[in-house]
Amino acid sequence: MKNNIRVERAILNMTQEELANKISVSRQTINAMEANKYVPSTVLALKIARVFKKPVEDIFQLEKGD
Amino acid sequence: MVKHALPLTKIKLMNKYLLLPHRFKAIGWCILIPATMAGVYLIAKSFEVTWLRTTVFSFFGHDGFVHNGNSLTGNHNFSFITVDVTLSLVGFLFIMGGLMVSFSKEKTEDEFISNLRLSSLLWSVWVNYVLLLIAFVFIWNFDFLSVMVYNMFTILIIFIIRFNFILYKNSKMATDEK
Repeated sequence: MKNNIRVERAILNMTQEELANKISVSRQTINAMEANKYVPSTVLALKIARVFKKPVEDIFQLEKGD
Repeated sequence: MVKHALPLTKIKLMNKYLLLPHRFKAIGWCILIPATMAGVYLIAKSFEVTWLRTTVFSFFGHDGFVHNGNSLTGNHNFSFITVDVTLSLVGFLFIMGGLMVSFSKEKTEDEFISNLRLSSLLWSVWVNYVLLLIAFVFIWNFDFLSVMVYNMFTILIIFIIRFNFILYKNSKMATDEK
């Protein structure tokens, strides 16, 4: 699965730390997701989508092989 | 967009793993670091160190292995005996400190960190037993005793290194971003 958290974050001019605080996770978690090293749970994906005020599918997309 | 009743920061995942509160991590390091230094000293001295001789309660025991003057005659099941407890004490403190460092919550114990914790635990059990298998095949006779001594601690050591290394790698990348 790929995501554009980093892009969405840039649009809102938000640091990893700020996003992490908004959704009560660690900075490492945001970092791991942006590096495509961690696939978030549905709950976390929904929370991220809510911060960016977009549907989940706009932020997370399936890739070949998923 | 959907209307939301709950503020985002209030939504937390259920904490389903048995972990100590975050403050135990610092306490754990304060025990683990001196215990590690003491352990290295014991290894350097071939475990011939007698720091503390005291009376302790023994569940079971009989004559046999003599070490650090801990030679006792006759059976001493469920009785008080006087022995040197240096090695046991250092081992006890190392494991206590190691458990606290390993299994205390991080400041933000979220799903990624829980995931990393469990994968590191799996990883350390694998590495530990593969190393032990290699030792079974290549280390013989009395020398195997030292393998058994180190093996009591290696799962914790490998876990702590692996877990903290990956956590560190992820936070380093995060500070690099503008």
